[in-house]
Parts: sequence; structure tokens; C-alpha cells
Amino acid sequence: MRFQRLLQIPLFLFFLFLLWLAAYPLPAWFEVDLLLRLDPLIALGSMSVARTFIPKAAWAFLVLGMTLFLGRLFCGYVCPMGATLDFWDWVNRRKGKPKRDNSFEGAGRFRGLKYLILVALAGSAAAGISWIFLFSPLSLMTRFYSFVVYPICLMIANLFLDLLRPVFPHLGFENLSYVHYSVPLFNTNLFVAFLVLGILLLGLIQPRFWCRNLCPAGAIFALFSRRPLFRRMVSDKCTSCGRCVRACPMGAIGEGFVKTAHSECLTCLQCRDLCPEGAITFRAGVKVPHLSPEINLDRRRALGAGATGLAAAALTRTNLHHLHGGDNPQPLRSSGLIRPPGAVPETDFQARCVRCGECIKGCLTNTLQPVWFEAGLSGMWTPKITARLAGCEQGCNLCGQVCPTAAIRPLTLEEKLFAKVGTARIDKTRCIAWEQDKKCLICDEICPYNAIVSQFAAGHPVTVPVIDEDKCNGCGYCESRCPVTGEAAIVVEPLGELRLASGSYKEKAKELGLVFLAKGRVKEQTILNRDQREGKGAPEIPAAKDEKKLPAGFITN
Amino acid sequence: MDRREFLKRSAQAAALGAASVALPGMVGRVWAAEKEPDIVVADGRPGLATRAAVQAFGGMGRFVKQGDKVVIKPNMSFPNPPDWGTTTHPDVVKELTKMCIEAGASSVLILDNPLRSAELCLQRSGVKKACTDLPQTQVQGPTNKAFYEEVKIPQGRALTSTMIMKKVLESDVLIAAPVAKSHSATGVSMALKGMMGLIYDRKDFHLNLDIDVAVVDLCTVLKPNLTIIDASRILSEGGPSGPGKVIPMNKIIASKDIVAADSMAVEVGTWYGRKFKGRQVKHIQNANQRGLGNMDISSQTVKEVSA
Repeated sequence: MRFQRLLQIPLFLFFLFLLWLAAYPLPAWFEVDLLLRLDPLIALGSMSVARTFIPKAAWAFLVLGMTLFLGRLFCGYVCPMGATLDFWDWVNRRKGKPKRDNSFEGAGRFRGLKYLILVALAGSAAAGISWIFLFSPLSLMTRFYSFVVYPICLMIANLFLDLLRPVFPHLGFENLSYVHYSVPLFNTNLFVAFLVLGILLLGLIQPRFWCRNLCPAGAIFALFSRRPLFRRMVSDKCTSCGRCVRACPMGAIGEGFVKTAHSECLTCLQCRDLCPEGAITFRAGVKVPHLSPEINLDRRRALGAGATGLAAAALTRTNLHHLHGGDNPQPLRSSGLIRPPGAVPETDFQARCVRCGECIKGCLTNTLQPVWFEAGLSGMWTPKITARLAGCEQGCNLCGQVCPTAAIRPLTLEEKLFAKVGTARIDKTRCIAWEQDKKCLICDEICPYNAIVSQFAAGHPVTVPVIDEDKCNGCGYCESRCPVTGEAAIVVEPLGELRLASGSYKEKAKELGLVFLAKGRVKEQTILNRDQREGKGAPEIPAAKDEKKLPAGFITN
Repeated sequence: MDRREFLKRSAQAAALGAASVALPGMVGRVWAAEKEPDIVVADGRPGLATRAAVQAFGGMGRFVKQGDKVVIKPNMSFPNPPDWGTTTHPDVVKELTKMCIEAGASSVLILDNPLRSAELCLQRSGVKKACTDLPQTQVQGPTNKAFYEEVKIPQGRALTSTMIMKKVLESDVLIAAPVAKSHSATGVSMALKGMMGLIYDRKDFHLNLDIDVAVVDLCTVLKPNLTIIDASRILSEGGPSGPGKVIPMNKIIASKDIVAADSMAVEVGTWYGRKFKGRQVKHIQNANQRGLGNMDISSQTVKEVSA
């Protein structure tokens, strides 16, 4: 096996392994989002749009520094998009069929596009809008393998588990006979699949069409790898057979077989390995003739690209659903747009979020879902809590831990308890207790914060649910379990959400009077009710003789 | 086999048989002086009290035979720590499991269909950690339909069929091991109500059925051989999910009669600031009326032990 594959395949499997590990409980020994943080487009893009340095994402600068010496090694050895495209090429390989002109000059028609895309992204970034999620290869691949491949793998695994279930106990795998993966659901999955399919199909025109022509992260790497330490050198043993030019996955070799576009060369060493004369070597510190111009960026086009980026940003900002300022719920904000706990204020959130989908993949209850245009044009694929599907689990803080750009802050479990994401509201016309006198109190039973109380109300023969808004954390368990068909009778809305760029949620909650109060032996769980906050006396203790407070299951006479 | 060997073997078997009859008898003699209790209330730390309560009936051997497949049904429905009183204390489950293994159980399955994320519930309730290393023991919270089977309830008045965990249907012995806690619908949630944790879909109990009847319907098909109620601390109000008022009780209640155990636990505890009798809880009264057990404590022998 070729040297490149010896590194590329294990690193690709490592990428998949880390993605698999991005689940509750997170491993303590590794940060599963590390590979995402190596993408310079993610680092530069989110930092420039958020106008701040994001220490978490700074690993990419190390990669960029290495690129100065080693060239586009990342693309050839580390990038999962590269690996996927190489695999695709291998599947579609055909022997004996003459290829189109694959020389740097002959196959270079679209090569400048990636620089133009980079410039356009920079233009948008200058106007404070991030589009990098459409082009960052690490983000695209994480999203693709999370939303598209992962659920399919689980379904296949379940097929085998179901098939082998009767035999497991006899083989000594008693444990396995209880395993059945719950297959997660993902919004926008079909679109993600088509997007990647498109990239793959482009690969039929040229191998690694994406990497050569479109990838703006590749463009950044190209700019940094024009004079690398290790360079391809062709000795005079060369017979000009042209095999190297035809085989080069990047079309980085010039027509004369000798010159190399180092900005495109992955140092995959394929040309060296297949040269029948052994004329090709990669060496440090040698002088080799340059291809020129390597990067031919027309000034007019570059300006056009920048203007396009600015225009895209302007269009985004003037879209009806754009969350202007967005730090507080705005009148036009979708009432279903509940952000994960610890999400920084909306403008900053959209600037930082690279839509990799790591939080969505890792979400314990599958409640986090990518949105379409609910959060404006530039909010595509940002995560939201889909309370009708599942609640946000009190004891889990995974989403903030795996976010590569800290768009969701890595909160401790204690802090997360105070990161209110919204407030539940009962639609009495839909609620079967309020409207149909049914003895339903599922929302009361499931509420982890005891914010829903079943009470007797005038004119109702059964107890009906009532929400104590100050205790409600917005987790959405009530909405997820509401037995009404279709839209729930109890829904979580963004009202009252806490979004802090920095500082403690716990302190902020205290400041707002949402002070958690010890109750019984349970500490710091219940928020003071409104009367208590305003100092209207002691905590309300259920009166011992008030029979109306008793559940319906008692007979009191 | 010749005649001599046949005689020899017969003698051995007879001796063994005699011993197996005599041995429990000898242990039993301690109790022979008094009537076998109907209900045992054991005082002490959760694990020790559990053992003492079962010993008071003559040990787990009374319920579990060599090679039996045992299912223990604790409450592991919420991802809350034991001191919230929403789930069965892990020491209770651990001690029960150990006693079953000692009695020769071929497997012990600790099962519940949790209300919240199964993984988290099993972990945070502490049950998984306490029991996972015990031999032949599994702690599982199966939530997938594939693990359940439709069962008819011939005596059901509200609930006529439901999906029950296959492993429960396949088991030889079922032990109910709930925690004693308040419940916003049924008043209290103990062993009878706890059987709802062995079925797939509980929505209808709240929605279309009279829950105080449906719980009893379910208990006509799910009949625990032994009921151990964890009243080491009770969730006096705020149940079933908590957080709420937790009262330390230091008690474990045991009975072969699920209704008697529930009724005892109701009387022992304080609920929503009041004292109740078992007959004041609708589903316990229903169960009594339908002959599932005896809720009248005064007519039964209650033995108090301390560990």
C-alpha cells in the first residue's frame, strides 16, 4: 500500500471514530471535535465574522504553520473530504480509458474558482455574515457522516442485532442481546446527501474536482504552500511518458512533466511511486523550476467575487427572517426557534456556528435539529431544540462540550441548569385536561423542574396543568410527551431565554430573581416563585388540610 | 446400572432429599414459634434492612429456586440521584440481586422502562453501578418495541391488552422493588403502580383509561412473587419525578402480597402532609376489591425486625 494511504485511511477512520464518540457520555480522554478545529477556514471564518479570537479554534493556525513547510499535506492525508473523494475515485476507477488532459495548464479551467469563493466568503465576513458552512470541508463532512451515514449504519447494525439476538446468549454475549440502537432523525438530511452527491459527481469530471477548484480551505492551504520544504524533483532519467501527469489527483504537474504547482501538490507521492524510470523524488531544500503563474487571480474577477460576497451578506441582512440584532427574541422570530442551552447571543451565535452538526449528532435525546431558513438565510443548519420530538436532558451538557467554535458555551452541568432556553405555555383549547375534562397530567409527571402543577380550577371536575413560568427551564419534556396528536397543547417558546456571551448563568439567574432554592433535601433545584421574589412572605407550603391539593388518586372521605 | 448401584444412588438421593427438606425446616424453626408474617417492616440501612426483611420470610430460597430466571423491577425511571427519592435505592436492588444469586438463580434481570433517557436513568439512579458487576446479572432499560410482546388481559376492565417486556414473560420469578413515593395522579406510586414500568406504552393510562382501574388490570397479569418496598426515604410530595419533599424513614417493607405491601407503605409514610390508610388510595382499594391482595393491615401479622 502506498505511504499516503497508510496515513490517510487510519486518519479517516479516526475521524469517523471521533464522530462516533461524540455521544453521551463524552470520553474524558479526548476532545472529539479536534479535527474540526484543524480546518483553517473554520478558524479564520468564524473568528473574522465574530470579530474575536476563539482560542478553541486556534489549532488551525498550527496546521497553517505546518503547511508553510509541508505543503498541502492536510488535504492529502488528513481531510475526510479528500479521503472520501479518493475513495470515490477508487470506486469509479477505469482501466485503459484515456483520460482528458490532466496537466496543470490543461485542466486548470476552474482552478481559480476556489480563490474567488474565498474572496467572496471574506466579503461576506467583512459584512458580518458567515457563509463558511457551505464550503468548509470539515463541516460538510461532519454533517454528511452525522446526518446521512450514521443513521443508516445504525439501521444496518440493528438488522444484524435483531437477526442474531436469539443466538447471542449461547455465544456468551448476553449483553448484546439487549442492544438495539435508537435511530436518530435529522432534518435537512436529504439536502445534505444531495449536496455531497453533487460534490462526488463533480469528481467524475476530474478527480478531486472539489479540492482542485472549489474548496476555499484548499485555497488557503494553496496560498500557504507555494514554497514548501519538500518539493517534487524530476531527474534527467525522465522519458516524458506522461504517466505522472495523467495520474496526479490534483492535476498539479505541468505539461512538460518537470514543473510542479506546489500550491496544488498534496505530496501524495503517487507520481514518484509509479514513475517507471524512478526519475521522480521529493526532497527538501532543492531548487526546482517553477510553474508560473501558479495562482492566476484576475483582479476584476476578484473584486467581483468580493462584491458578490458583500451582496450576499446584504441580502441576508434584509431577509425577513434575519434576526436583526437578534440578542432578544424579536417579534418576527419563529416561536419554535429554541436554541440549545448556552448558545451565545444570536448574532454572535450565527457568526461562530459552522454548522458542522456535531452537537446535533451528539445530542442525547435527538432534540437538537438543523433548521432550514427559520433563523434567516444565514441561519441554515444551525441547531434548535425540537421539543415536540424530545426534551433537552437536564443531566447532559454535551452540545457545548463538542462545539468547535464555542457558539454553544461549554457549560458545567450546574451552570447548564440555569441556562434557561425558553418557557412553556399551555394552549388550553388543545389541552385535553382543560378542554375535555380528561385526567391527563403527563406534562406534570414528566417535568424535571416541577414547574407544572396539576390543580383544581373553577369549572373543571379534574385537575388541570398550570405552569409556574419562573421554574420553567424550557427543556421541553412536557411538549415532547403531550399526548395530543400533532402540535402539542403545551409548547416551549423562546420567551425568557437566557443568552450570555460570557459570565455565569447562575449569577445572571440570581440577578433576575430566578434564584434556586433548597427544597427538602434537594438543593438548588426550584426557582423562587414570583411572590417570593417580590418578598411577599415565606415559600408556599402545601396546606396540610387543603384537600384540593391532593392528587385524584386519593379517597379523602 | 446394577442393583447395588441403583440402591446406592437411591439412598444418596433420599438422603439429599431428606436434607433439603430438613435444612430449611431447621432454619424455619426459629420462626415456627410464631406465625409466618404477612408483612415485614425492617428497620435499618437500605441494604441490611432488605436482607433482614427477606430473612424474616425464611430467606430468598423461599421464592427463588435453583436455576430460576429472576426479574427484579425497581424504579429506575428518572435520572435523579438516590437521595431525591424518585428511584429505588441501589443498595436495595443490589442486596436483592445478591440474595437471588445466593439462592441459585441462573440469571437476574433488573428491568425498567424509564421515562427519560434510559442510559442516563440507569446511570444516575446508581443501580447500574451497584449491580453491573454481580454475576449472571443484567441491568437494562429496554425502550425498543422489539423487546415487548402483546399480552391479553382477560380480567381487564379498562385495559384489555398491552405490550409487556418479553423477558418478564419468560421469567420464573418476579420481584417488585419500588420506592415509596407520592404521585400526582394516583396519589402514591409503589409496587402496583410500579408494574407500569414493565410495559411499552403508558400513554393510554393517562389519556383514555381510568388509571386507578388500569393499573389494577395490569396487575392481574403481572403478579410479583415477592414485593419489597424501599421506604428508606420517601418522596412525600412532588412525585413521581421530584424534586420534592423527602422524608428519611429507614424502612424496608416486604410481603408476598403486593396489595398488603403497598397498603403498609401508605400507612407508614406521610403523604402531602397527611396520613392515609391503604383503602384511601383508589388503586389499592380496587386491587383489594378484585382479590389481588389484602389491604387491611389490622387483620394481618406484621413483623418488625431491625438490621
